[in-house]
Amino acid sequence: MKSSPSKRIIAPHLAGLYRLAAERYESLPAFATRKKTREWEPISFRELYERGRALAAGLIEMGVEAREPVGLFGDNRLEWMIADYGIQLCGAVNTPRGSDVTDDDLIHIINQAGIHVAFVETEALLDQIHRLRGVLPELRELILLRPPQKALSEGVLLEEVIRLGAEKLEGGDTRVAERMEGIRPEDLFALIYTSGTTGKPKGVMLTHANVMSQLEAIPLDLSCADRVLSILPIWHIFERTFEIYAISSGACNYYTGPRTLAEDLEQVEPTFMGSAPRLWETLHHRILAGVQKAHPVRRGLFRIAYFLGHHYHESWFFLRDQDLQLHPSRKGIRLLRKGLHAMRMVLLLPWYGFFNAAVLETVRRRAGGSLKYTISGGGALPMEIDRFFNYIGIPVLEGYGLTETAPVLAVRAEKRPVCGTVGPVIPGTELRVVDPDTGKTLYPDPTDPHGGRARRGEIRVRGPQVMKGYYREPELTRKVLDDDGWFHTGDLGMVTFNDALKILGRCKSTIVLSNGENVEPEPIEMRLCQSAYIDQCMVLGQNRKFLAALVVPRLEAFGADGFKEKTLADLAESERAKTLLQKEIRMAMAEGHFKRYEYVREFLMLSEPFAVGEELTNLFKLKRHVIEAKYDREISELFAPRTGAAPEKKS
Amino acid sequence: MIEIEGQLLHDVDQILLAVMILIIMFGMGASLTLNDFKTVVRRPRLVFVGFLSQFGFMPLIAFGLAHALNLDPAKAIALILLGCLPGGTTSNMFTYFARGSVALSIAMTTASTLLALVMMPLLLELYTPGFAREIQGNLVAAGGEGEVEFVIPTANIVVSLLLVLLPVGGGVILRRFSRGWAKVAEDTAGFTAMIVIVFLIVTTFARHFNLVRATPWQVYLAAVSLGLTGFFFGYWVSRLFGAQPIYQRAIALETGIQNGPVAFAIILLSFPEQSVQNQMVWLGILYSTFVVISSSYFTLYLRKRGKFDWEVYQNTRIHRRLFGAAYCTRYPEGFLPPRIAGDPAQGDLEGPGRMQK
Repeated sequence: MKSSPSKRIIAPHLAGLYRLAAERYESLPAFATRKKTREWEPISFRELYERGRALAAGLIEMGVEAREPVGLFGDNRLEWMIADYGIQLCGAVNTPRGSDVTDDDLIHIINQAGIHVAFVETEALLDQIHRLRGVLPELRELILLRPPQKALSEGVLLEEVIRLGAEKLEGGDTRVAERMEGIRPEDLFALIYTSGTTGKPKGVMLTHANVMSQLEAIPLDLSCADRVLSILPIWHIFERTFEIYAISSGACNYYTGPRTLAEDLEQVEPTFMGSAPRLWETLHHRILAGVQKAHPVRRGLFRIAYFLGHHYHESWFFLRDQDLQLHPSRKGIRLLRKGLHAMRMVLLLPWYGFFNAAVLETVRRRAGGSLKYTISGGGALPMEIDRFFNYIGIPVLEGYGLTETAPVLAVRAEKRPVCGTVGPVIPGTELRVVDPDTGKTLYPDPTDPHGGRARRGEIRVRGPQVMKGYYREPELTRKVLDDDGWFHTGDLGMVTFNDALKILGRCKSTIVLSNGENVEPEPIEMRLCQSAYIDQCMVLGQNRKFLAALVVPRLEAFGADGFKEKTLADLAESERAKTLLQKEIRMAMAEGHFKRYEYVREFLMLSEPFAVGEELTNLFKLKRHVIEAKYDREISELFAPRTGAAPEKKS
Repeated sequence: MIEIEGQLLHDVDQILLAVMILIIMFGMGASLTLNDFKTVVRRPRLVFVGFLSQFGFMPLIAFGLAHALNLDPAKAIALILLGCLPGGTTSNMFTYFARGSVALSIAMTTASTLLALVMMPLLLELYTPGFAREIQGNLVAAGGEGEVEFVIPTANIVVSLLLVLLPVGGGVILRRFSRGWAKVAEDTAGFTAMIVIVFLIVTTFARHFNLVRATPWQVYLAAVSLGLTGFFFGYWVSRLFGAQPIYQRAIALETGIQNGPVAFAIILLSFPEQSVQNQMVWLGILYSTFVVISSSYFTLYLRKRGKFDWEVYQNTRIHRRLFGAAYCTRYPEGFLPPRIAGDPAQGDLEGPGRMQK
C-alpha cells in the first residue's frame, strides 16, 4: 500500500487557507476539547469555518474595519480559534495576549495598537478591563469567549455576535466575501506583543506572507491521519504557526494542559507536538522517577537498555555524520573512527534490537508511543535531555526562531537530526554569522578554508518569514532590521562542520529562563549590590529553571560585623557568612518588588573579585561570557538538582 | 547421512533448555488474558484463515520442502514437526513492531496452542509415516536385529504438549493476580530466551563445527525456507480471504514464526533414539536461528509498508475512543487507497464492531 502524498493546502493568506481547509477536509475534526478522561468534543473544519464566517459578519456589523487590530486576550481553547477565524475572515489583525496579562501591558497594547474591539476569555479579564476603562479611551466593544457565571457589567457574548452575523449572512450579506477578496499577502495577520525585556512590549507585525512561507518551508510531514497535541500558549507564534500547519494538512489539534498532560498523551497518542524544553525536562524526570520506583529487575533492564540505546545511537549518528561537529577533523581519521563505530554498532545490534523492543518501547509509550517527532522551541534544550530522548528513540527535534521571524529559522531535519544543534536553516532563508562588534561577516566566508564554520558571532537572517517591523516603532525597527532586509537576532551562534546551526547564547544580557520568561539581570544585580555585604555580583540562569547569582562579598562589611576571615577565599568557606548573605539576598528580592521568577534562588560566594580587563570591561561592565566560561563548573553545580540520581554519566 | 558423535546437546545444555522452556512458556501464559479468547469468537473468519495457514499450509509446506529437498527422514520429521507447531509469543512482539493487530496475534497464539493438542498428532499421523518407515529401515539395516521399532510416539507428544502447557497455565494464573509481575515474567522470558538461544548456538557451533560444514545445503535451505514460505503464504492467503492489512501482517508473522521451545520439548521427551534426536535438534536450532533473523527483516519490511494504513487505523480508532463509538471519520476523496476506504478502522478487533457507513 502506498501512502498518499501529503497534499498540504497552500493559500496566499490565512483566510483563504481556512476556506480551503473547510472545502477539502469538511467533516474531519479540526480541534478537539477535553471534557473528561475519555470524552473529547470535536469540531469539524466545516463547522469551525461556518462559525468563523458568521462571527466575521458579526464583527463587520460591530464596525470592525479591514486591517484593524482586534484584541484577543485569553489562553488555548476552541473559542480562541473561532475568534481568530472571525478576525481573519473579516480581514482584521489578530492582536493576542494571554489571560494573565498585567494592567500595564493591557493599557499599552490596547492604546498603542488602537484596539476598538477586543475578545476576552474570562470574566476576570472583563472586570480587569472594566477597572481600567478610564485610561482606554478608544476601546469600544468587548466580547466574552467563555459563558459567564453572572450578569455582565459590560460586553457581549461570543455566541450573540455569531448569531447576529449568521442572521446577516442569511439575509444575503456579502461583506465577508468582499473582505476576503480584499486581503493581500503583505497585510498583517497578527500583531504580537512580545514580553518586553526593556520598557514596554513591542508589537511584532507579521504578515500573511510571513506565516504562509513557514508552511512551505518547515520540514514536517503531517496528514489528515495525524493528531497534534497542543500545550504551549496559542498566543505565542511558535504554537500558533504549528496549529496553522496542522490545519493546512488536515490534522486535528487536541487541547491539553499541564495538569492532564500525562493522561492526554496516553489517550490521544499524538503523532506530533510543538513542545518546550520544560516539557521534556518534566517527562525526563518522570521517567527516571518511574524507573527508580520500579523493582530491581525492571530497573536493571532499563539501565541495560539505556546503555545499549546510548552507544548504539551514538555510533549510528556518527556513521551518518549526525554527530556534533564543532571542530574540523581529518578525513582519514574520521574514516577510521567510522570503521570502529560500525563495528560497535554491529556488535550491539542484536542486543539493542531486543532491549529496544522489550524495554524502551514501554518507556516511549509514556509519550503516547505514536510520536513521529516533536519540535522543541522557545528555549534551548539541555544537552542531556536532548540526548536522553534521542537515545531512547523519541526524536525530539530542536528548532530555532523568534516571534519576529514567524517563528522558524532553523530546525533539525527529521531524517538527519544533529543533537546539540538546531539543525540547518530552513529553505529560502539566508544566514550570516556576523561579528557583533565590527559588523564583519564571519560566515559564509569563501576566503576561510572551512567557509567560516565554527566561527562565533551574531546570527543575522533574511527570508520571507522576517516581520515587517515593530508596530509604530520605526526607531526600534531600524535597530534590528537593516536596509538590506537582514534581521539581527541578537543571538550568538555558529555553524557546525555538518552545516547545522548551534546557538551559543545571547549577545545581549537578557536571560531567558527554561519556562520562556525573559529576565533582565541588570536591575536585579543593581538591587543586590545595594546591600552592604555585596560588592559585585552577576545573575545567571539562561535556559535554567530559576535564577542564581555569583556574589563577591564585601570583606569590610563582614569584618565590621565581627567576622574573623581575612580573605575572600576564607569567607567563601564560612557557613555563617553564607546564612547572612542568604538573608540579605532574600530581603533584597522582597524589597525590590521583583516577580516570582526573578527571584535569585541560589548563590555562590566567589573567592576573588571580578577584575578590570579580566571579568570587567574598562567601563566596569560585566563580561558575562568570560565569567560564565571561567566559573563554568561552579555554575553547573549551582543549578544541579538536589535530589535524584544523575541520568547518565557524562561521556 | 552424517553421523553426530555422542550427544548434540550435553546434559548441561539440556537442563538449560528445559529451564528456558519453562520460563518462556510461563512468560507466554503471563501475556494471555481471557479477553483473547473472546476476540477469537468475535472474528471467526480471521481465526479460520489463521487456522488454515498454521495447521493447513505450514505442515504442507514443511512436507513439500522435505520431499523437494530430499531431506534425511529424521530431519524431514523434524521439519514437519516444526511445521505443525502452534504459534509462540515471539510472533506477538514482532507483530506489534510490524504494525499488525496484536490482538489477533495473541488470539491466534492462544487458539493454536490449545488446538495443537488435537491437531499435532493428527497432522504427524498424516505426513510422517513414510519417513518413519524409512528410519525404521535404516535402523534395521544398521544392524538392529528386528528389535528396533521406530514409530511416531503420538501419545508421548501429547503428554509433552500437556507438560509444556502447565507453565502456560501458571502464567495465566499469575496474570490474574498481578499484572506487574506478569509483565516482569514476560520480559524475563524474552530475555532468557535470547541468552539461552545465543548460548546454545555458540556452544553447538563451537563444539560441532564440522557439523556446520558437513550439513548439506538442502538442510539450511529447508530451515530458512520454512519461515519465509510461511510468511509469504500467510500474507497472501489472508489477502485472498479479504483480510485487512493489519490482520494480514499479523497472520503472516504468526504463520511463519513457530513456537520453537515446544519443538525442543517434544523432541527431547518423545524421541529418545540418539541419532534421530540429534538430527532433529540440529534442525530445530537452525530453524530457530534463521527465523529470528528473517522475521526481524520481514518485520522491518512490513513496518515500512504498513506505515500509512496503520496511521489511518490508529487515527480512526482514537477518534472513536475519544469522540464516542458512533463517531465516523470521513477522509477526503482520494486520501485513502480503495482497500481501506470503506473501513478506515479496518474492522478493529477491540472496537465495537464495524463502522457505520
